[in-house]
Amino acid sequence: MDKFASLQFYALLKREVLEHRNIFIGAPVVVALLLFVAATWVATQISQSDLAEGLRFVSALFDGLSPFDMAPFIMLLAIPFYLTLYVCSVIYLINTLYQDRKEMSVLFWQSMPVSNLQTVLSKIVAIVLVAPIFYVLVIFVMYLIAMVWLTILGISNDVDLVGIGYLFLAAIASLVLIYISTVVTGLWLLPSVGWLLLFSAFAKKTPLLWAGGVFILVGFLEDLIFGTQFLANWVASRTSNPDQYLIFEFQSVFERVFNYDTLFGIIVGSILIAGAVFMRRFTD
Amino acid sequence: MKDLILRNRYTLLVVTLIVYMGVLVTEGMITGREVRVIEFENPYFDFNSTNFEGFRERRNYNENETENIRIESYDTGDV
Repeated sequence: MDKFASLQFYALLKREVLEHRNIFIGAPVVVALLLFVAATWVATQISQSDLAEGLRFVSALFDGLSPFDMAPFIMLLAIPFYLTLYVCSVIYLINTLYQDRKEMSVLFWQSMPVSNLQTVLSKIVAIVLVAPIFYVLVIFVMYLIAMVWLTILGISNDVDLVGIGYLFLAAIASLVLIYISTVVTGLWLLPSVGWLLLFSAFAKKTPLLWAGGVFILVGFLEDLIFGTQFLANWVASRTSNPDQYLIFEFQSVFERVFNYDTLFGIIVGSILIAGAVFMRRFTD
Repeated sequence: MKDLILRNRYTLLVVTLIVYMGVLVTEGMITGREVRVIEFENPYFDFNSTNFEGFRERRNYNENETENIRIESYDTGDV
């Protein structure tokens, strides 16, 4: 990719982030604020001595343990962010190409020196690779505030803070795992990404209804014509077990990305994404 | 061919879905992708999504059993 193409792509990504600030930045900040309020409320319900005792226990628990081994436990704290990103991704993908046509900005972008392929790819990269960066940054700030609070609490109650240092290292390691997990989830669910983009580019009204309705219709037609249920089996096999795309250890990253199911999913997703790219020709 | 596929949004959608389903069905046949089984089992209720016939037969059997018990209780003459 030459320098001009890189700049073009960077500009497209920047556009996505600026146009969807609520999804990329607003949503994780709101979740973090809600968690902060909840944590503050819980802290006010517990006496100072009990808090100090709890902190002493956590400090002793993490003292000397490998941050990489403990990182999966810290990942559990990120579940609300993970769910928020999942919901926001569905909203973003089903609306993004539809919104371009609805407000006619598609005509402006097609008059610019960027292809439909670049535009659609920028939307996929934005939600699969860029959005998780913002979520991880917000989680990092949340961890930082929590650590400062724990440190002040520890110093004021004369608690040994070495274990808290290990806890912080485990939290940092968990951020890397969270980012890798979200990216792998994006690749694993690429057929769903392609499906939503296809109907976002296709529907004149209510794209979500089209995406859901056609999915059910195609499933029925497959059963009727072929007498098989491969579509339902395929979807069930890819969505029923989060273990398939959540990464809890660094060693398993390679085998999660480069396995038959993930690569086949990328191929199938590419068919639908190609359909979305061609569908952008129809701007009415 | 290209003109036919790209004639309007509907032809493009149909062609995309046909290719998508074609790849899925072919891969499913080759690899023998199987139904993900949904199974519940407890003392009161058994359910296996791959065995609807068995579920129906078992329910009929249970209904007949209940009916027989009811008839037997009528036969005892208790009021």
